[in-house]
Amino acid sequence: MEMKELNTYALQALAEAGAEKAETVLSNSEKTEMNLENGELKLVRTTVDHHWRLTALRGQQRGSMSINQVTAEALSPAVTEVMAIAAASAPDPAHDIAGYQRPKVFRKGETNPNLELMFQRLKTFTQEVSTRFPRIVLLSAQLDFTRSTTHFQNSNGVDFTVEQGAYNFSVMFSAKEGASSSSFNYSGFSVLNLEEELLNGGSLRILLDQADQGLAPRKAPGKFEGAVIIAPDCLEGFLHSLLGITISDGPLITGASLFKDKLNQPGASPLLTVVSQPLGPEIAHGYFITDDGYEAQNTTIIQDGILKTFLLSLYGANKTGLPRGVNDGGAFVVTPGQQSLAEIIKGVKKGILLTRFSGGTPSLNGDFSGIAKNSFYVADGAIQYPLNETMIAGNLISLFQEITAVSREQVNFGFALLPWIASQGVTIAAQ
Amino acid sequence: MNTDLSSFKDLLTDYTELRCQENYSLVIGFLQGDNTTNTRLTTCGVSARVYKQGAWGFASYPGISAEGVEFVITTATRNASFLAAEDPRPAYSLPRGPVTNHRDEPGTANRPRPEHLVAFLKEIDNYMATKYPSLAGRAVTLNCSELNKTLLTSDGASAYSRLPRSLLKIDMTVEQAGAPVHLQEVFGGRGEFEDLFTTPAHLFPQIDWLYEHLMRKREGVFATAGLKTCILAPEITGILAHEAIGHTCEADLVLGGSIAGSHLGQPVASPLVSLVDFAHTALGETCPVPVFVDDEGTAAQDVPLIDHGVLKGFLHNKESARHFGVAPTGNARAFRFSDEPLIRMRNTAILPGTAELDEMIASLDDGYYLMRASNGQADSTSEFMFGVTLGYEVKNGKLGRAIKDTTISGLAFQVLQTVSEVSREFKWISGGMCGKKQLIPVGLGGPALKCQVMIGGR
Repeated sequence: MEMKELNTYALQALAEAGAEKAETVLSNSEKTEMNLENGELKLVRTTVDHHWRLTALRGQQRGSMSINQVTAEALSPAVTEVMAIAAASAPDPAHDIAGYQRPKVFRKGETNPNLELMFQRLKTFTQEVSTRFPRIVLLSAQLDFTRSTTHFQNSNGVDFTVEQGAYNFSVMFSAKEGASSSSFNYSGFSVLNLEEELLNGGSLRILLDQADQGLAPRKAPGKFEGAVIIAPDCLEGFLHSLLGITISDGPLITGASLFKDKLNQPGASPLLTVVSQPLGPEIAHGYFITDDGYEAQNTTIIQDGILKTFLLSLYGANKTGLPRGVNDGGAFVVTPGQQSLAEIIKGVKKGILLTRFSGGTPSLNGDFSGIAKNSFYVADGAIQYPLNETMIAGNLISLFQEITAVSREQVNFGFALLPWIASQGVTIAAQ
Repeated sequence: MNTDLSSFKDLLTDYTELRCQENYSLVIGFLQGDNTTNTRLTTCGVSARVYKQGAWGFASYPGISAEGVEFVITTATRNASFLAAEDPRPAYSLPRGPVTNHRDEPGTANRPRPEHLVAFLKEIDNYMATKYPSLAGRAVTLNCSELNKTLLTSDGASAYSRLPRSLLKIDMTVEQAGAPVHLQEVFGGRGEFEDLFTTPAHLFPQIDWLYEHLMRKREGVFATAGLKTCILAPEITGILAHEAIGHTCEADLVLGGSIAGSHLGQPVASPLVSLVDFAHTALGETCPVPVFVDDEGTAAQDVPLIDHGVLKGFLHNKESARHFGVAPTGNARAFRFSDEPLIRMRNTAILPGTAELDEMIASLDDGYYLMRASNGQADSTSEFMFGVTLGYEVKNGKLGRAIKDTTISGLAFQVLQTVSEVSREFKWISGGMCGKKQLIPVGLGGPALKCQVMIGGR
C-alpha cells in the first residue's frame, strides 16, 4: 500500500477497534547532511525515517501511540495497544480532534538535495571564514537538506498532505589566538535553496566578526542596573520563554499565567509587535498545519504592546473556555522600529549588548538570570569592550514592558525574522 | 529486541559499525487532576557508519530488515566515498582494541499494565490535591524509557545493551502576591517502573518534603548577586562535574580549543577534588547509565579526569584517541538509531571526601546552601552556568531564608581551586540528559562541596 492508503487504513482500523474519534498522522522524511568538525569536512550522513502517530478517543478517554515501522503488520498490534491505552486513561471531556476542513495538499521547497552544491557551499564557507576571519575556529557545522511528506487525517474528515523540503545550516565557532580562546557561539538558519553563499545567511557575518573581537574580554564594571540590547539570536529564545510562561496551555490551564486576564490588554511595550507567521513569505521553515490538525494561519500575538491572542491548543481551549490559537506559535516576525542599531547603541548610557544568553529556565513569574555570553559592555553611547564572567538578572515580563527601542535592521533566520530590541532595568554583575 | 547481526558480517568490508536500535518511551501526565497525556513512542531501525580513505559516511533506515541493513551499508559506503573523492585527506587507520563481546540481560517483555500506571499517578495527584488544597498548580508526569542496542563492527566487536529508566516528576506551584512560585522534583532513575516505585504512599513523605520547601520558597528573597561562598548539595555537584569539567575534557572540544587542552598534567582544582567519568561501576555499585561497550565497539574504561586536583586525561572516541596517541576510552555514544556516535560522557562524578554536610553548613558564616538545579551549559573556556531552583541563605552557620530561582556560574578551573571541603555523603542524579547535537542519557554524581561561585540575583 502507498503511504496515504496505509494512513487511511489505520484510521479505519481504529474505528473498527472501537474508537469513537480517531486521528492518524504519517510522516516520512529523508535527511542528507554534511558535517564539519574542527574545520574539516568529516561525515556525510543519510537518514531515512518514518513517524506514525495513532490517536483514539472513546468515551472521553484518549490514547496515543507513535511507531516508525510503516507496514500493515506493524499496524495491527499498535491499534490494539492504542485502544488499551485509551481504555486505561482517565476520562476528560476536553479531549477532542479537529473539526472538518476542506482537504488540501501543501507543497514547499525542493524535492531532492543538490549534493554537489551542498559540498561546494560548505567548502566555500570554510575558505571564506578562514580568509576573512583568520582567528575563527569552526568547531562544528552541519548543512542538511531535509525532505518530508506528512499525511494528517482524522475521523471528522480532515485530510491534509504536506510536502516540504528545506536546507538547514548550523555552525558553532570560537576565536583563538595563541593561548587566548573566546567563548564559543553558534547560530543557524533555514533556506529553500542554496542560491546564496552560507556566509550571507542569518547573522553569521555579524557573529563571526564579533567573535573575532572577543579574544580579550573583560568583566563588566561592578554591579549595576542598566540597559540591555538584545540581539536577534538571543531574542528568539526570550520570546519563546515569555510566551511559554504566559499564553501557552500549561500556565493558562493551571491559572499560573500572569497574562491570563490580559487578552486585548497591554502586556508589553507599545514599541513591540510580534506576529507568528508560519506561512509568511520570509519564513522558509514554517508549517502548514497545527499539531492538532488545523490548517495554520498567521496570527498577531502582540500588536503595539497589546496581547491579541493566546496560543492554546484545542485541548487547552476546551479546558479553559478561551479561544484556540490559530497556529502553534514560533515563526516569529517582530516588526522593525525606526532607529538603526548604531543609533540605539548611541542612546545607551550604561548597559550591555547581549548576543548570547546562557541561563537557567525562567521562573513562571518571569524572573531570569544567567551569563551574558559573547556580549559587549556599552557605555556613553559606544561599545566599549567584549565581556566575560558577567551575569545578568531581570524579569522577562518587565523586560518586554520596558522596551526603549526596536532596530530597523532585522535578521532573517528562515524560522524567524527579528530585530535588535533595547530594554532597561536589568541587573548586570561582574564576578 | 536482541537482534543477531552476525549473518551480516561479510557485508562489512570497510571499517564499519552496524547498529540496530530500539528506543521506547511511555509518557503519562496529569495536570490539575486531568489525565492530559497517555502516549507511547517506539522508534527502531538500523544504521551503519563506514570509515573509508579517512572520510566517514553514515546512513540509517527505519525498521529492522535485511534490506535495511544492505541499504545502510551501501549508502554509508557511498557517502564516505563521495567525501573522500571530493575532499581527499590522509587515510589514517583507526586504533583497534581487543575484540569485545558483551551482552546485557534482556528485559522482560511484560510492561506494567496502562491502567495500573494511570491509577498510580492518579493516587499521587489525589494526595497532593487533598492534602495541599492551596496549591495553585500541580502536575505528575511519568516517563519510562528503554534503549536497546545491538552492535557489530568490522573489527569483530559485538554487543547487546539495554538501558531502562523510569522517572516520575512532581510539579507544584503556589501563588505569592499574584505571582506563581514553582518547585519540581524528579524521582526514580535506572530500572523498571515496578522495581523503583512500589506504592504511591512511598512517595508521600517526599511530596511533603517538597511542599515544605515550596512554602519556604514562597517567602523567598533574591540572592545577592556576586561571588559567594556556597555549599553545593550532592544533588548539584554532579551537574558541576558534568557541565564545568566533563564537557571541557571531551576530546573533540579539546581539539576545538577547549581550555582543558593546555592544562593536561597541571593542577586545575583543589587537591580535595578528584573527578572520574565512570563507564559502568563506581564506588561498588552499578552506575545510573552503565556503558560496557560503546557504539564504536570499544570496551568502556573509567576515565580519571582530575586526580587530587591535577588534570589527567580526556574522553575519547577512536579517532581522537589516534590523534592524541592514547587508547580509546569507550565514550562514543549515539542516542537514536539514526544518530552517529559522538564523544559523550557516561557517569561523571566528583569523588566523596570526609566532611559531614551539617558541619560544612555550620562552618559557613555568610553564603548559600544550594540544593536543586535545573538546566546547565558549559563553554570551551570552562565558564559554566546552571539554574538553581532551591536554595537557602546561610548566616552564622544556620540556614536562613529561602532564595528565589537563580543561576550560578564561574570558571570551572577557578571554582574548583576554591573547594575547601568535600562531604562524605555522595549521590547520583540518575535522570540526566545531555544535549550535544543529540540528546543522551548521562549519570551525574557527587558529594557536597564548599566553594566560591558567582551567583545571579539583584
